[in-house]
Amino acid sequence: MNSVRDRNESAWLLPAGPGINHRLRADMRHFDDEEEVDVVIVGCGAGGSTMAQRLARAGWSVVAMDAGPFWDPETDWVSDEAGSHHLYWTEPRVIGGADPVPLGSNNSGRGVGGSMVHYAGYAPRFHPSDFRIHSADGVGTDWPIEYTDLKPYYTEIEEELPVSGQDWPWGDPHSYSYSPNPVSGNGDMFLRGALACGITAKVGPVAIANGRFGNRPHCIYRGFCLQGCKVNAKASPLITHIPDALAHGAEVRADSMVTRIEVDERTGKATGVHYNRRGSQRFQRARMVVVAGYSIETPRLLLNSASARFPDGLCNDFDLVGRYLMVQGAPQTAGRFDAEVRMYKAPPPEVSTEEFYETDPTKPYKRGFSIQTVSPLPITWAEHVAAQGHWGAGLRQYMSDYVHWSCLGALCEFLPLPENRVILSSEKDRHGLPVAQFNYSQCDNDKALMRAAQSVMEDILHGAGADEVITIDRYAHLVGGARMGADEHSGVVDGDCRSFAVPNLYITDGSVLPTEGSANPALTIMAVAARAADRLTAGGSGSPADRIPVPVRRGATG
Amino acid sequence: MSGLPLDPSAGGGRFPGFDVMAQSKHWDEVTTSVVVSRLGMPPDIRFFRGTEEATASALCDQLLDQKNPPRVPVVNMVDARLADEQTDGWHYDGMAPDGQSWRDSLAALDEDAMVHSGCPFAEAPWDAQSAILQAVLDLGSKPWHGTPAARIWSLWTRYACTAFYSHPWAWDEIGFPGPAYPRGYKNLGVNEPGGKNNRLEPFEVADARPAQDPLRKGNS
Repeated sequence: MNSVRDRNESAWLLPAGPGINHRLRADMRHFDDEEEVDVVIVGCGAGGSTMAQRLARAGWSVVAMDAGPFWDPETDWVSDEAGSHHLYWTEPRVIGGADPVPLGSNNSGRGVGGSMVHYAGYAPRFHPSDFRIHSADGVGTDWPIEYTDLKPYYTEIEEELPVSGQDWPWGDPHSYSYSPNPVSGNGDMFLRGALACGITAKVGPVAIANGRFGNRPHCIYRGFCLQGCKVNAKASPLITHIPDALAHGAEVRADSMVTRIEVDERTGKATGVHYNRRGSQRFQRARMVVVAGYSIETPRLLLNSASARFPDGLCNDFDLVGRYLMVQGAPQTAGRFDAEVRMYKAPPPEVSTEEFYETDPTKPYKRGFSIQTVSPLPITWAEHVAAQGHWGAGLRQYMSDYVHWSCLGALCEFLPLPENRVILSSEKDRHGLPVAQFNYSQCDNDKALMRAAQSVMEDILHGAGADEVITIDRYAHLVGGARMGADEHSGVVDGDCRSFAVPNLYITDGSVLPTEGSANPALTIMAVAARAADRLTAGGSGSPADRIPVPVRRGATG
Repeated sequence: MSGLPLDPSAGGGRFPGFDVMAQSKHWDEVTTSVVVSRLGMPPDIRFFRGTEEATASALCDQLLDQKNPPRVPVVNMVDARLADEQTDGWHYDGMAPDGQSWRDSLAALDEDAMVHSGCPFAEAPWDAQSAILQAVLDLGSKPWHGTPAARIWSLWTRYACTAFYSHPWAWDEIGFPGPAYPRGYKNLGVNEPGGKNNRLEPFEVADARPAQDPLRKGNS
């Protein structure tokens, strides 16, 4: 199928202009808890929604649950920073380790669409080297699949979001179906600085069409991408995959917090999920369970699903669940200009460079980082300024200078470490379940990358003419925690996202990524899910009951 | 121009005539109701008990340098979030959740003020309060009343800055037009100094003192 619309009609199922297709939602199919559906999916973010759309298209009966709401952007989202707090996962969690990572805001979503509702919109591919960093550099681990395995799915998803950008020279060079969006003051400063420093920078890759796409309107450059796109211009699964899933008979069951996966002790197969919906404990029967709750909640759900067969947590025979969780080091460096940059105008995602992505043999560290425009709105900017130690009168004066600042952000590839993990805390949530404790400690390579990225961002901003630069250390993007591996000693799932321990249990979210590259993970999560769905449905549509595929194993990589 | 009293030498009056609320007729209804609610009567104090309210008020005034009225009602906005448990969910291992950490740290501030000034924090002179807070900040990651000072500092500033910079008066002060839906922006690009390449929207106001870089000495 060549046409996007032929394989995913979502953009044509939305109304022309902003808003949702109320008829499609009102007519949504509803399954009974007692009905054994082909698949129940836990989480409607990047991975879960892609699975729901693909499997529904293949004729499977699908129930896709999400703990949060089924958003209506027109009524539920605002063009306001403080008023968008409800887009985040703010259920209790504990953070620890030597370098604890704050959660809840930029790195976890809730509701249908997941954290792609409030991601900036960058949609870069991983590089071919990402899949072999242990072989090439002796760090991290190798994936059980190669870049070439994902490549067709990258292309598909890029067309479905769709992604805008210049011809991309890094990694596996490729082009985008939409030309780049115009750049604002912040993107312009990045391009000027990069030019002055001899660094190649490109506009894109951003999941906002430069033009209309189906019935989705053109971007209006209002700059509130991180608060949820009311326009329907920026891609999130809520508008890119869920409408097509509904049209093919999937049920989205929102406000449903899955608390436990049930496994039949006799057959060793998953039989469905326990969930809490509006105060009622319920159980949905299913022939297959797909977990897509992201890197904190997926491990937590597995650990909370312990049983006689799995005393240490579901799929945790080899103590891998929750481990090798990664964040990207995401320092932000800002520069001050006498010109007015007004970085709040236009989407924050505009320009990037991947020139520092790969291992540079002349450097004392392995792997690298990417640099992108980020354009904090006032509250986030105040946090940036306060992190410099400014407060009181100094803070007010700094903030009065907001329109003169340009801001870049790096994504540094942190390495997967076994002790960076989710465990269960002694603290309980309102359902009475142990909450996740997320421990993080950086290794020396991680720290070296943070400083190297900061130095390049300072050079770029000085190159553009900034007279002062300031940096805040922060972290973005969770991946790992239930990684894929060549065998059950190295991963929780195989390269097709099928768990080694339970043959009809799949995990298709960011937690399966063995490494993180220096790329924003959304596109890769969707591509991995699309590939998993393709493997599951290969050979035609119909009921999956007797068609659980034999896992394909590749050479062990330790 | 912002209704908040801020001396020009401290960054006040840089956007003469700029008025965010004058554009509210161009905003969508849902957003407008959220923003307008911040301009109405401040929410009643529900979370802070007894003297906590006085200590928290003095702390918030210090953090945002709101010495004189009219003020953005930062303490009421912080209180409302804590009363609603509108946190980011996470808390540090070994540190209480946000609400209790606020209570504990306010009590600790009073203890410090008793030692420093012989009175509760709220009753200490402005400069004495400032000195007490600067001492907390200067501890960095060292403990303050049993908790790494930087974590407490971050707790205070996150809540206080979120409240203050969500208020249209603060947006007036920094030249930020606030909500932008459904209108959006049409003039993207860098405004060069001296009015070259004007990329302002009709409702945006140019900075009257573009060289007032906070770190450039001798600026005005």
